[in-house]
Formats: sequence, C-alpha cells, structure tokens
Amino acid sequence: MNILTLAFIVLFLPLASFFFQIFFGKRIGRNAHWFSLIAIGITLGIAISFVANIFLGIQGPMLEVSGEWFTTGDFTVNLGFYIDNVAAIMMLVVAIISFLVHLYSTEYLRDDIRYTRYFGYLGLFTFSMNGIVLADSLIMMYVFWELVGLSSYLLIGHWFEKDSAANANKKAFLTNRVGDIGMFIGIMILFFQLGTFNIQGLAEGVYFGGFDGNMTLLAIAGVLVFMGAVGKSAQFPLHIWLPDAMEGPTPVSALIHAATMVAAGVYMTVRIFPILPPSALEVIAVVGGITAIFAAIIAITQTDIKRVLAYSTVSQLGYMIMALGVGAYQAGFFHLVTHAMFKGCLFLASGSVIHAMHHGLHKINDHHTDPQDMRNMGGMKSKLPITYWTMLVATLAISGVPLFSGFLSKDAILAGTLAYFNTHHGWTIFLPIAGFGAAIITAFYMFRLIFLTFHNEPKKPEIYEHLHESPMAMTTPLVILSILSFAFIFTLPHLNPIHSEGWFTHNVPMVENVGLDIKSVKEEIDHAHGSAMTISLIVASLGIALSFLFYYFRKVNVKKLTTTLDKVGLYRLSLNKFYIDEIYDALIYRPFLWLTKMISHIDWDLFDQKFIDGWGWLTLKASEGSGYSDYNWLDQKVVDGFGKLTKFFGRKFRLAQTGVIQNYLMGGVVGIILIFVIIQSF
Amino acid sequence: MISNLQSINYYIPELILVGSILLAILFDLIPPLKKWNYYIALIGIVATGLFLSMSFGSDKSLFMGMIAIDSFSHYFKWLFLISTFAVLLVSHYTKELDGTHRAEYNTLLLIVLFGLFLMSSATNLIMVYLSIETVSIASYILAGMLKGNRASNEASLKYVIFGAFSSGLMLYGLSWLYGISGTTSFEGVRQALVSNGNPLTIYMSILMMLAGIGYKLSMVPFHFWTPDVYEGAPTPITAFLSVAPKAAGFAILIRFFGSVFSNSDLTPILGLEWPVLIAILSAATMTLGNFVAVYQNNVKRMLAYSSIAHAGYMLMAITVLSNTAIISVVFYLTIYLFMNLGAFFIAIFVENKLKAKTIEEWKGLGFRSPLVAGAMVLLLMSLTGLPPTAGFIGKVYVFSALIENDQFYWLLVVAILNSVVSLFYYFRIVKSMYLVGTDETAKVTPHPVILGCILVLSFPVILLGIYWSPLITFIQSIL
Repeated sequence: MNILTLAFIVLFLPLASFFFQIFFGKRIGRNAHWFSLIAIGITLGIAISFVANIFLGIQGPMLEVSGEWFTTGDFTVNLGFYIDNVAAIMMLVVAIISFLVHLYSTEYLRDDIRYTRYFGYLGLFTFSMNGIVLADSLIMMYVFWELVGLSSYLLIGHWFEKDSAANANKKAFLTNRVGDIGMFIGIMILFFQLGTFNIQGLAEGVYFGGFDGNMTLLAIAGVLVFMGAVGKSAQFPLHIWLPDAMEGPTPVSALIHAATMVAAGVYMTVRIFPILPPSALEVIAVVGGITAIFAAIIAITQTDIKRVLAYSTVSQLGYMIMALGVGAYQAGFFHLVTHAMFKGCLFLASGSVIHAMHHGLHKINDHHTDPQDMRNMGGMKSKLPITYWTMLVATLAISGVPLFSGFLSKDAILAGTLAYFNTHHGWTIFLPIAGFGAAIITAFYMFRLIFLTFHNEPKKPEIYEHLHESPMAMTTPLVILSILSFAFIFTLPHLNPIHSEGWFTHNVPMVENVGLDIKSVKEEIDHAHGSAMTISLIVASLGIALSFLFYYFRKVNVKKLTTTLDKVGLYRLSLNKFYIDEIYDALIYRPFLWLTKMISHIDWDLFDQKFIDGWGWLTLKASEGSGYSDYNWLDQKVVDGFGKLTKFFGRKFRLAQTGVIQNYLMGGVVGIILIFVIIQSF
Repeated sequence: MISNLQSINYYIPELILVGSILLAILFDLIPPLKKWNYYIALIGIVATGLFLSMSFGSDKSLFMGMIAIDSFSHYFKWLFLISTFAVLLVSHYTKELDGTHRAEYNTLLLIVLFGLFLMSSATNLIMVYLSIETVSIASYILAGMLKGNRASNEASLKYVIFGAFSSGLMLYGLSWLYGISGTTSFEGVRQALVSNGNPLTIYMSILMMLAGIGYKLSMVPFHFWTPDVYEGAPTPITAFLSVAPKAAGFAILIRFFGSVFSNSDLTPILGLEWPVLIAILSAATMTLGNFVAVYQNNVKRMLAYSSIAHAGYMLMAITVLSNTAIISVVFYLTIYLFMNLGAFFIAIFVENKLKAKTIEEWKGLGFRSPLVAGAMVLLLMSLTGLPPTAGFIGKVYVFSALIENDQFYWLLVVAILNSVVSLFYYFRIVKSMYLVGTDETAKVTPHPVILGCILVLSFPVILLGIYWSPLITFIQSIL
C-alpha cells in the first residue's frame, strides 16, 4: 500500500469507529469496544510504520498531495495531506495515547450507561486530531480544529446530568471560540496577502516577499493565528477552561486535555513557525512564560488531584509555547512529545487512584466524600503498587530529574530561554526566571501530590481498607507510558542520560524562519546548554527537597506557613487561581449580562411598554373606539404582516385550483394572452 | 449527415431498450413467464445503461438530422435511467399498486423512458413533437393505473385533456415556425429566423412552443394539471413524473432555445427578448408554487407544488442561457433528482405503513422510524436549500449564473424570498415528525429495498453538499 492510502486509512478508520459505535454500538452492547480498539490499533500500526519510514533517510516530506475541494469565482480551496517527520512523530503520539486510553477506558467506564457513545466520541476525536496532524493547509487545519473542539465538548459533557460538567463543556467551547475567531481572521489575512492556505505555500510566499516588507501586518497575522493556540493550548489569558474540563472522565482528560488536543495549539505553532517574524515570536514567548510560572503557582495549593495535574498541564504547555517563542523550535516540539507520555501516564494513574477511591467509598456506602480530594488519601503506596511506581516515574520525568525524558526536553527549553536572554538582555531576563521558577515549583507540587496520595498514614482508614489495585486493562497503559517516560527512549541509539542527542534531534531538524538567523540561535542554545543544565539540576533538587521537608518528613508546619503567607494574601491568591475567573466575571460576564438586561429593559420596559403602549394610550385617549381598532390593525400588520400576505396570496392562488378542467384550460389560454400582451409592451 | 441505415450503429442503447419493451410485452402474454416481466424490465434498463456507457463521447447527428447523440443527451439519459430504475424498484414493493396489472405498468414505464431518451436528443421540430407525445400518452395511462380509484381516473382524464390542449398549441406553434422557415431542422429554422424574422409571428410561435414544453415542466400558466394529477396518480408515478419528464423538458428547452432562438454564442437573436419572458414566467412559477404549497395539508399535493417551485428556480438559469447557466441547471437537475425522488419514496413508505396522507398524520415519525425521519430532514433541508446539503450548492450555482451575467437581479430577490417561504412549509413536516406527540410508539421500518433506495438517494444529497467539485467539473467537461 502506498503512503496516500495509508494516510486515508489513518484519517478515516477512527471516523468509521465513530459511526459504528453511534449506529450499531447500542445493539452490540459492551463488546462493541472491540471494533474501536482494532480500528485504533490499526492506526497505531500505520503510525509506527510512518515513523519507521523516517529512518529510511528520505529527504523532504514523505507525502505531499492536495486536491481541489471547490472553486468559487476565481479562488480555489484545496485539501491535502502533508506528512514530514514532525507530522509522523505527532501522529504516533496521538495513536499511542489514543490506543492506550481506549484500552484503559474499557475498565474505567465499565458500568457507564453511555458506554458505546463514549467510544464513538473517542473515535471522532481521534479522527479530528489526525486531521489536524495531516493537514497541509491552514483552512483544513481550521476545519479539524473545530472538530476537535466539538469532540472535546462532547466528552467533557459525557456526564451531562451533572451541572458542573454541563457548565464546563460550555465554558470550554466558548473560551475556545474566542481564540478561534482570532485564528480565523489571521488565516484570512494570510490568504488575502499570499493567495493560498497551504502552509508550505505560505512559507514560500513570505520568503519571496509576499508581505512586501510589511512585517507589522505579518506579525499581526501571526499573533492572530497564534490566538487559536492560546485558546486550544490553554495559554494565559484563555486558560480558564482547562481546569474545569476535568469534569470529563479521567481517560478523556489524559487523551484530550493533557496529551494531544491541548498540544494541537503547540503543533500548529510549530507548523507556522517559519513565517512568524521576531516581533510575533516575542509575544508568543511572553505569553508562554507567563502561563508557565503562573499556572505552576496555582498548582501548589490545589487539593483536587486532577486539578493539580490540570494546572501542571497548563504550565507545561506554557513551556512549549515559550520554547517556540525564543526560537528553540526543536525543544518545544520535543517537550510536546515527552510531555504527552509522562502527563498521559500521570492522568491515567490519577484515574487509577480515583477509581480505587470510588470503589472504596462505594463499599462503605459513602456518597459525600470527594474521591478526588488528596486530603482524603495517603498511604496508598502499598495498596496500589503499580500505580504508585508508574506515577513516580512520570513525576520524576516532569520534575526534570536526569535519566527521565522530561529532563532532556525541559533542559533544552531552559537553555533556549537563557540563550534568548544572552542575546537580547533587558526585560527578557523574565523568560529564564519564569522557566527556572516554574521548574522548581513543578518539582515541589508534583512531589507534594505523590506524598499526599501515596505516603504516610492513610487519612481515612475506613476507606483505605477497601482500596484495590486497578485491573490489568488499566495498569498496562500505565506501565507502557512510564517506560516511554525514560530518557533513553528518545536518545537511542545513544544512552547518555544527560544529553538529548539521538534519533529525535536528528530527525526533527531546525527549520528556517523569516526573521531569525536559525544557525546563530542554535549556536547560542548549545552555548547556554551547560549552565542551563547546572541550574535546572539545582532547582529540581531544591524543589524535591522542599517537598520532602514539607510533606514527607513534615519538618515544616504547613498550616502555620500558609497562615503567615496569607497575611499578605499570597496563599489565597494561589488557591483562588489569581482570581482570574472572578475578574472575567466582573469585567466581562457581568457587564455583558448587564448590557443584555439593559437592552431588554430598554426594548421591553421603555420602548414596548412606554413608547408603543404610549401610542396605544394616546390613541385610546384621543378616540376610545377607533384608537383600539387602529392599534390592533397596526400590530397585526407589523407582526403578522408577512405571514398574512403569504396566506392571502396563497388563498388567492389556490382558488384557481378549482378542480374543474375547463377552468384550467381557460387559465392556460388567458395566461398565454396575458404574457403576449406583456411582451408586446416591452 | 448519416443515413438511416448507418444511424442504427450509433443507436444501440435505444434499440436495446425497444427490444426489452417488446420482450416485456411478450413475457406478459405467456402465462408461465409472466412473473419474469419485472426482471426483464430491470435487466433492460441495466443493459441499456451498459451500452449507453460504451457510447460515451460520441457526437453524431442521426436519422437525417432527426436526433443528436451527444454528451448533453448522454448525461440526461443517465438521469432518466437512474430515476426509472429507482421508481421501478420501489413500485414493485409498494402496496398501493396491488391489484393493478403490474406487467403493463412496468412496460409503460419503459416506454416513457424511451420517449424521454428521444426528448433529450431531438433536434428536429417533428421529433420534438413525437417524443413529447410518446412520453405523454404513456404517462396518461400510468397516472390512471389505479382503475378502481376515482381520484386516479380523474387525474388521468385531466392529464389527457390538458395534455392534448398543450400539445395542440405546441403543434400549432411548430407549424408557424415551419411556415416561416420551410424546414423542420433546428439549424434551418434558426437561419431563417436570423435572416428574416417577423418578431410578432416568432413571438407567437415561441409562446405556443412554451405551452408544450412548459406543460412538461409544470410552468405557470401550464401548471394547472400538476396538483390534481400528482395527488391522484399512484405515488411512484408521481415521483417519476416530478423528476424524469421535467428533466427531459429542460433538456428540450435548453436545446431548443439554445439552438433555435439564439445565435451560436448563446445570445438571443436580435430583436427577440425571450429572456425577459422566461424571467417573468420563472418568477411567477416559483412564487405560485411556494405560496400555494404553504396551504397544502396533503403531503403529495405539497410536494407537487414544491416541484412547481423548483421548476421556477431552474428556469432562472434559462433566462441567461450562458454556458455557466446551463451547467448550473444540469447540476441542479441532478441534485433535484436525488432529493425529490428521496422525499417521494419516504412519502410512499409513510403512506404504505401509516396510511398517512396529510402532514398531521406524519406525527411521531421521528421516534417511530428515526433513520427514515432523519433522511427526510436531510432531504427537506436540501429542498429548502440550506447548507451543508446539495440543494444549497445547486441554488448557489444557479444564482451565481445570474449574477455573472449581471442580469435580472430582481429575479434573484424573488428567488431568495421564495426560499424563505419554502422553509415554512417544508419544516411543517419536520415539526410534525418530531414535535407533535403521538400515542403510537411502535417502530415502523420500510421494506429493505425501499429503505435502500431512500438511503442511496439521500447519500449524494449530503456528499454533494460537501464535495461537489468533481460533478461540476464533469458537467463542465461534457457541455
């Protein structure tokens, strides 16, 4: 089979799984998941073959085809596939996580009433995500971009009976729309300037002076397209939907809201990286930096296990975006891949914990205790050993400990920020500070999570007694993902644990950029590598050590510390997520609600009641009888005008249909004569 | 010019069709073979299709210039084949026709098909008349197929009288053209009109011509027969009449106006303002169709008026008759075939299973037969012209043909207002299916063959709404 056929299979097989589950799933029942598993399994196989293709050493993209979708007037819209090394690796990431999540869900959602529908939506999501990965043009990417948004909406709201879930999916959808509108405007600016949606075509257009030196417009277009990524990758200030999206089933959080969909924003930015001028990259770096540090601070004080991970995801996505902003293209994409593995593992492990808690609570008939609250956990290490060890590996990876994958990619990003500061000086010191600051905090809160959940004595012994390790279908994905969190996976054939040199760096080369001298950027990064590694080792150990002190040895009285910090409002600031939701509430929602209320007040109370009714009152006063009928007539005419007219003519026309054939013939003859008269008068 | 004998070589598909008609009659006469009549008809259509596809691309004028075998007629022939095949399939499984002479019915359908073939390729005044009569006379009998049913008898009789009236007028108009030019070939008449046309007499003949063709299109004011016949005739025949002869009418209208009343670059002959005439008739047709449809409670009658309205939309493109306009109307006809046949087939199923004739009686169908009701919503959306269905794209192309020629903007406004009105009555069905409560909850499903036909017809409606450029490119390449 040639690559084009395979690409079609990769794209449409998950869609087939969607249709299968929606139309036949219910009839088949629980076993319907086999169809989805096999379908995604085949996609995984093809994705592996694509990545294997990389090593054949073919230059350029493996597949580049496009065909006409439609032509209207003088512009044509094409759809097509573009698969290069980056797309192939991304496709493999999506396929791995999607397959493992499918497998995991067979147990996690075992007794769900909408079991097959859930698998259908997972298929729809995988289809849409593959569409983004394969797209050769921004317009096609945009179409699938909206489709992942839809499937995310459907999956967050899987348990829509819960008000919180119904609100969360609405919030996710609307927040994403804000970014998407910007993205669409950006795409259209690029299209009208360069006459194409094709990403390669755009890059060529920019290099050959499509913007005629009008770099400001290009920067504006770039930032607008990036707004789509701000929404989808939950960057500040549109990050608010992601923590709420944790209302969805945990495997969904792992697949969509940790590993793949939220990384789509990063992937898209990777794709358009060549056409982003330095001024746009600056904006991107700052957005990423703010997101990285700010979400990490919030994560410290959260007590819901999934919310900690959600903010951690936001923070890590900020890292990737920041990496792209400072020109460390390779590092950004590298972190996307490593993060997908260890964060997928963390989420699935937290799902395993919640699953166990849920069953424990069920056994003792407790329906009030929150199974996701870490304050109810503790000591689970001996009860859930596999979950513990796999989660620990992923935690070491995300904290940036050597031998694990996160160390390599995070280190590369931090080197990038340092290099950026070395060349730009001034305010750009903020970027390395945000990077290293977030690194220390990440190490701290992740180990806080581990200690609170797995170590020390159980806080609720009555639940603890009933805890069990999750079944095979759930632990297998954990083990696989934790293995994929080791550094050597990404550095093969080399095994040097502190250097990222390997197959990944060889096959994701730096790309040209319209405004940056990529060679010198790379040299600077290599130059900063040593110092970045030293600092990041120090901060990681510092974070972990602090966490040990706080939560393992409990040498520091956490309560006392928080009360002290709270004297200046710091603790509450973090706990309440910097009051961003409240600020939006005060600045956007409430003024908007007020505005709509005002308008409806003006329309109804003033215009309708006072003005319109005033007329009625006036006419009533002027002439009681005729005034009333006049009002009636006016109202009927304005409101029902069109309908009345339609009905009137309908009735008139219908009268012609008498059923008497003589009349018909008469109609025909009269018609001809009429037409003849009309024509003669022209 | 190819002589009659040589012409036979290029006339094989039609000969196969005639052969199967004769075979079908023969089988009907021999009692043990009688039940095979239906299969003979099906096989005849398939065989005709096979031979037709082999003749693709030829461009010949046959039988001393009587008919043309070209890509234009070729495309239309496929439309006729598909619709006849579908109607034949569905007719076999509808209860409505129980107790009628089915063999006759099948054979007559094939005869109509043969007439339609002739209509799409006629290039001579005599052939125009003969082909229209072939279609008409067989259709009269088909409309009256339900012998015990008064409505059916009445429909047939009205059809005959109105048909005779229209074809009489047309024949009169043809004789005027013959009188002016002294020839019956399209090309000869055109040359005569260009050199010495008296506008008044030509106008008279155009009008008379329009009576004959317009009656096939159910164009105002020759539409009067439509609702009565559509309501009274067996529903599969109604479905057939609303699609295939209408398409043939357009084929003949395009060929006639394009090659008789126009110069070779498709502009009207100097002094003849027939586009204005068509524009007025188009506006009148769609407005009347839509506005009266609002008032109908009988689903078949509503669909009859809706088909009048659609003829009005398609006539819009005839006003400009540019290359893009012809492409757009052929495209629209293709889509119209799918969506109208689909909607009628669903009406057949509902009539068979629920004995429902009025819109109110469709209530609760959304829950009793979700798949069919879903398909119906799709088809109705397409008939209204809402995206992402093919009906929307069809309208876009027809409208843009008008805009491209920078003419008749008022007609465009009328058409858009009409689309709004049509939403109202189409969605009364949707409302009845989904929003009106019913005590009956038992699931109903159509016969698998009927269901298959409905789904096969619905699929292109959504497909062509999303990815239509191959079809447009294909039509472009053959015209």
